[in-house]
Amino acid sequence: MRGLLKGVGATSVAFALVLTGCSSTEADGGEGSPAELVIGSSDPVPNLVPGRQSNAFGLTMSVFSPLTFLDAEGELSYVAAESVESDDQITWTITLRDGWTFHDGTPVTAQDYVDSWNTVAYGPNAFENSGQLAVIAGYADLNPAEGEPATDELSGLAVIDDLTFSVTLNRADSQFPVQLSQAQTAFYPMPQSAFQDLDAYGKQPIGNGPFAVTTRWTEGEPIVAERYQDYAGDEPTVDKITWVPYSDRLTAYTDALAGNVDIVRLPANRMTQVADDFEDDHIYSFSGPAISYLSFPYWDARFDDVRVRQAISMAIDRDAINEALFGDLNAPATAWTPSIMPGNPDGICGEYCEYDPEAAAALLAQAGGFEGELTIHFPGGAGQDDLFNAIANYLRQNLGVDAIARPSVGWAEFSEDRNNKVLDGPFFARWGALYPSQQSTLRAVFTSAAGCTNCGGVIIPEVEQALNDADASDSEDGEAYAAAQQHLAEGFPVVPLFEESYNFVTSDKVAELTASAVGEPLLTDVILAGD
Amino acid sequence: MTRYVSRRLLELVIVFFGVTFVIYCAVFLLPGDPIAALGGDRPLPESVQKQLRSRYGLDLPIWQQYLDYLGGLARGDFGTTFTGQSVGEQMASRWPTTIKLALTAWSLTVLISVALGLAAGLRHGSALDRSVLLGTIVAESVPIFVLGIMAQYIVGITLGWAPIAGVDDGWPRAYLLPALIIAVYGLAGVSRLMRGSLVDTMRSDFVRTLRAKGMSQGDVVGLHVMRNAAAPVVNLLAIQLGSLLGGTVVIEAIFNINGVGQLLYKAIQDQEGTLVVGVATTLVFIFLVTNLLVDILSSVLDPRIRHD
Repeated sequence: MRGLLKGVGATSVAFALVLTGCSSTEADGGEGSPAELVIGSSDPVPNLVPGRQSNAFGLTMSVFSPLTFLDAEGELSYVAAESVESDDQITWTITLRDGWTFHDGTPVTAQDYVDSWNTVAYGPNAFENSGQLAVIAGYADLNPAEGEPATDELSGLAVIDDLTFSVTLNRADSQFPVQLSQAQTAFYPMPQSAFQDLDAYGKQPIGNGPFAVTTRWTEGEPIVAERYQDYAGDEPTVDKITWVPYSDRLTAYTDALAGNVDIVRLPANRMTQVADDFEDDHIYSFSGPAISYLSFPYWDARFDDVRVRQAISMAIDRDAINEALFGDLNAPATAWTPSIMPGNPDGICGEYCEYDPEAAAALLAQAGGFEGELTIHFPGGAGQDDLFNAIANYLRQNLGVDAIARPSVGWAEFSEDRNNKVLDGPFFARWGALYPSQQSTLRAVFTSAAGCTNCGGVIIPEVEQALNDADASDSEDGEAYAAAQQHLAEGFPVVPLFEESYNFVTSDKVAELTASAVGEPLLTDVILAGD
Repeated sequence: MTRYVSRRLLELVIVFFGVTFVIYCAVFLLPGDPIAALGGDRPLPESVQKQLRSRYGLDLPIWQQYLDYLGGLARGDFGTTFTGQSVGEQMASRWPTTIKLALTAWSLTVLISVALGLAAGLRHGSALDRSVLLGTIVAESVPIFVLGIMAQYIVGITLGWAPIAGVDDGWPRAYLLPALIIAVYGLAGVSRLMRGSLVDTMRSDFVRTLRAKGMSQGDVVGLHVMRNAAAPVVNLLAIQLGSLLGGTVVIEAIFNINGVGQLLYKAIQDQEGTLVVGVATTLVFIFLVTNLLVDILSSVLDPRIRHD
């Protein structure tokens, strides 16, 4: 069906061209009217509690303010916190800014933070984002393997006064201030009223951010947030934001063509077409902290030789795929973490991430060739078919192996087969970091820490050791993590494929869209046309 | 008649249980763990998964889950999604939109196809007859999403006559275009049946008698032929109400109409088993009830079909 849809899309470019000039007037705000933005979103929004939401980042980041913030250059600044300090990287003291209030008027206190984090981490609550707090001492006690936890408080948290609290971590971690940044929403504070009825709170969250959700949200209906007049931080540029739900990204995109919605995410199957549909200054591509890999089944001896893995990497023409499938919007990876990460060792993958079919074939021959069918596995229904078919083609043509790409029925089947080690060939892996630090990606993919366990294949002890050393160092620039990537370059456990970009299209109403280090547009800083 | 209806009702109950059990198993025995997939490629902590699994009874055997589900249904409780939303509430807020859309589409099918069928039947063999046949078949052979997306681009974006997403403009403006597309898929069948039935009836003996009595063509068709020719068409139209609800799934997704069809579409995408079963169960129920009503109605329309 996707293929057919694409065909239709191509034939309708002609219509689409006609209409770019004549979008509807409905979305344009008149003179003096309040500045409003309409955002199209197509991801399911299960619950708006910050410790539970998993795909309402734009909304959560507008309704709440983080302790720390990372801009697009990876610079750390403080928002709700005045300082986050530590002498030993284990015990951190967080001092809040004075004068901040929740939308219900109550002051934001250290106690609110401690209570919120305890609620998120408490196992029986089963909050989806609770894993973000696993670094805090006592997390394991709240999430025992068997039975009910004996306590409902993290032993690592202690309130010092109204505006100060201390956090003790399980082990030294220089990246803790980065972890407190905008997309790690489990660290957002909730007011005391939230704890009495978390379900009601999930329909109408009360935050400490620049926008307040005005009405109780009903599933399938738009969510409206208006400027919070007593917000203590920087003034937002807009007065009102409405998130309109769409059945899928394509529908939202089509409605953006008609000019009915101001900001939508670019669907993957429109990446090559968007330049025809929208004017250049209405298309935004932000580097995201996400990267994709081709992983190997370490339980299959055919992939034991590092040269086999390197040959596969060299046989893939990333630039050609990027141009043909992604409209040049995704950058070919040259390291095991995206270049947006502070201190990223760009190019550490070297020649093995560059397309060289002859060298690839020679390397595979040296390693003794490849026996049998090579099946590449990827989750079906996620729009990845073209990418993995292209990779299989390259392997067939350049290495002479019998390669095919096989989609699973869906995400669930794919992850189950992966975790049960049923997959009999290279497979899709990806990690989108919530805070831009190499630590996030490397830890999630290459160690046994609760993250994307197994998504990178084999777990390498040297990498884990190098990561621990880097975590304990007191430098915040991220360069300490290059040592861990050096181990990856030598062992080559997975093939880095692409750094992902997060892409958006806008209506005429938006003059400039900016993003932070997590690739998500900053809705509080949107510059409107005519302002 | 009473005996017939009660027998049919009993059958209905058996079919209902059978079908819901099959749907339930099909949804919950699918490979993969919906809880593990809740986080996409970002797995939930083990303790969270365990907690959620026991909260939604996923650690019980499938038959027990099904019985629990039926128990809930008996109390009018459709269960909750894996993210804690009430399935019943979600469906209740969306049914009115879908019913409006389906009835609009159905009325358009009735109006257009009966008109086309009449025109073709009364002049059967003519160029008009052939072009109706060709036109409706060509329209019906285009996949529904192709027609939907083309209509969005042409009518919605280029001409700007109708909104392409959502129902904020209310009935009829926001409903006409999607309803028309759904209606297209009933035209060929219904208009052919209408034409055929009309042609057959026009050839029957009683029509010759009426003509011989000197009755005008208008009265023959309007008073006598129509009623006799209508019976099979009414049957088909009523059954179409069911397949029409199926058509709303795709069209509601394309036009972003906040109805039950879109709910089902998203539920399948997000692997929300309870939601899929809930919507499918109500759809099955509606289909069964419409079929029963059709059978009763057709015996009223045509006394030859008697149920004693």
